[in-house]
Amino acid sequence: MSSKTDLSIEVGGLKLASPVIIASGVWPQDAEFWSPGRLEGVGALCTKAVGLKPRAGNKGPRVHETPCGVLNSVGLQNTGMASFVKNYLPVARCAGRPFLVNLIMESEREVRESLAALRDVPDVPAVELNISCPNVEDDNMEWGLRPEGTALAVRIARSEWGGPLWVKLTPQSPYLAAAAKAAEDEGADAVVCGNTWLGMAMDIERRRPVFQRIVAGLSGPAVFPLALRTVWQVSGAVSIPVIGCGGVSCWRDAAAMLMAGASAVEVGAALFTDLELPRKIADGLSAWMAEQNIDGVSGLVGLGRR
Amino acid sequence: MSGEAARDHEARVAGARVLGDGTALLAVECGAVADSATPGQFVMVRAGSCGDPFLGRPLAVAEASGGIFKLAFRVVGRGTELLAAKRQGDTLTVRGPLGRGFFDRAGDTPARVFLAGGGVGAVPLVFAARRLGFARIAGATAGISGAGWEGFADWLKEAMPKVDLHSDDGSVGKAGTALDGLPRSLPPGAEIWACGPVGMLRALAARFPNDGDRIRVSLESRMACGVGGCLGCAVPTASGNRRACTDGPVFAAGEVLWDELED
Ligand SMILES: Cc1cc2nc3c(=O)[nH]c(=O)nc-3n(C[C@H](O)[C@H](O)[C@H](O)COP(=O)(O)OP(=O)(O)OC[C@H]3O[C@@H](n4cnc5c(N)ncnc54)[C@H](O)[C@@H]3O)c2cc1C
Ligand SMILES: Cc1cc2nc3c(=O)[nH]c(=O)nc-3n(C[C@H](O)[C@H](O)[C@H](O)COP(=O)(O)O)c2cc1C
Ligand code: FES
Repeated sequence: MSSKTDLSIEVGGLKLASPVIIASGVWPQDAEFWSPGRLEGVGALCTKAVGLKPRAGNKGPRVHETPCGVLNSVGLQNTGMASFVKNYLPVARCAGRPFLVNLIMESEREVRESLAALRDVPDVPAVELNISCPNVEDDNMEWGLRPEGTALAVRIARSEWGGPLWVKLTPQSPYLAAAAKAAEDEGADAVVCGNTWLGMAMDIERRRPVFQRIVAGLSGPAVFPLALRTVWQVSGAVSIPVIGCGGVSCWRDAAAMLMAGASAVEVGAALFTDLELPRKIADGLSAWMAEQNIDGVSGLVGLGRR
Repeated sequence: MSGEAARDHEARVAGARVLGDGTALLAVECGAVADSATPGQFVMVRAGSCGDPFLGRPLAVAEASGGIFKLAFRVVGRGTELLAAKRQGDTLTVRGPLGRGFFDRAGDTPARVFLAGGGVGAVPLVFAARRLGFARIAGATAGISGAGWEGFADWLKEAMPKVDLHSDDGSVGKAGTALDGLPRSLPPGAEIWACGPVGMLRALAARFPNDGDRIRVSLESRMACGVGGCLGCAVPTASGNRRACTDGPVFAAGEVLWDELED
């Protein structure tokens, strides 16, 4: 196609060839899926969440379909930082584009140790600090609920990590704009709006909640309007880049997020239905921008706010 | 694992057949899946391209040849209901072929295999029976609940002529379960390949406690992605959580932690 626009953009310390990023926890870690041939249209990828020590994740059902969406209660299953560095980083480095290590905000000591481990190895492009997972008992999300918690988390991470630091916010925070501002004030390079939305499901046949932890995180197209609203609010409150995440499932959604103020989007659950969605979003955006005479993604960012 | 990587395909329904009360058979034209699928592998199928129902439904490949693969399924909810309404010429989205099947293993395929299917769990065993060939099938047994399953039972008899059928209510075949059709002890060199509800597979594993590595079970977990990304399909095993969609769905019964597996 001749009518294609260059989609490259610099966001939060990373140079992306496309504003479409694969969100954390939805893309296989297997090498095949991190080969460039699998990643057309993908500007960057977020790894599955990792913490200092291995976590088994939650028991019982972990996913449950909802109208136009999915609830999950995976619970940050991961094999720990040592194994991540040894087994996963070599795979991630083959992607031919930047990736972000989705780091679980644990205790201060654990996060410092995790970041030290990441600092010790070459070629880790960026960290996405996860202060927003609703699916664990040790209150990871607690860090993100209040601006003070967010500030403390970012302060700790910033003091250990000099590279690009993105902070993944929780839409459960009643003070989202203030939390985003706190992240900016403590030196975050970008904020991601946001993680999953707290929900639940009832198994009416068995007369009990579907999930063992009762609550679970909702994502997919159902949450798009909610996520779009948070992007709008947060974009108005900070001057660092905002990454839109929640329910993006076509190029129009991506365009809407960018117009609301996002500099890039993360795509999560929609990949469950289409592995080639990033390419389709990139192609759609680029063709449409050419038609609209918008040359460059930065010309689209915040267009709906002017 | 088969060489062909999992991808999403637009596919056309080549034929649809209602097998009676709530069971349907679909023939799907999709060379990418049909030409490389092996028994025990599955596909994630979506009836439409819109967002609802959102997720693909995992269904085992029942047969595959000449660019066409078949699915046989019970209508248990919205997804399968929409699939059962598909007619020749309609389109579907198909992700696959997925998972490690019965033949994707270290070591040789055994000389003799007993097949045991519970309910729609018999579906992947139909495909396995075809690939094994008559000489290697030591026995084939299936169990269904009974009334309402006649159409499925007829299809099974047609696809696996030697199948020893059982039903809970005794209305189809003998009264009893699939496990009643298995030998008391497993002859040397033989294996059991089984698929069905967790309760059945747990009972199977308990009945042959010393043969865990010779009993291979296909597990039906909840799945969102089917390709190993979401960790939604975790199966507790002796070596930690494994993914049913990529490390399985076929596991050795001896590695599964049956007490931790949800029914
Ligand atoms: C690898 C694999 C292979 C399968 N092969 C077949 C097959 O060949 N034929 C067949 O009929 N079914 C098969 N299943 C089960 C099938 O996926 C479910 O019946 C189907 O997803 C239900 O979708 P639904 O929208 O109709 O029902 P829903 O509305 O989603 O659910 C209806 C009922 O089905 C149960 N259910 C939903 N999803 C699953 C699941 N993944 N496993 C077990 N129960 C479930 C729910 O508990 C509920 O009671 C397989 C499952 C897996 C994981
Ligand atoms: C199965 C599943 C697992 C997830 N795991 C993580 C995770 O490990 N870390 C994280 O920050 N977000 C995780 N998320 C949240 C997504 O990255 C994303 O923020 C959220 O799903 C909203 O985007 P979406 O609607 O496009 O999916 C997960 C989401 C799903 C559905
Ligand atoms: S279904 Fe997503 S990892 Fe298995």
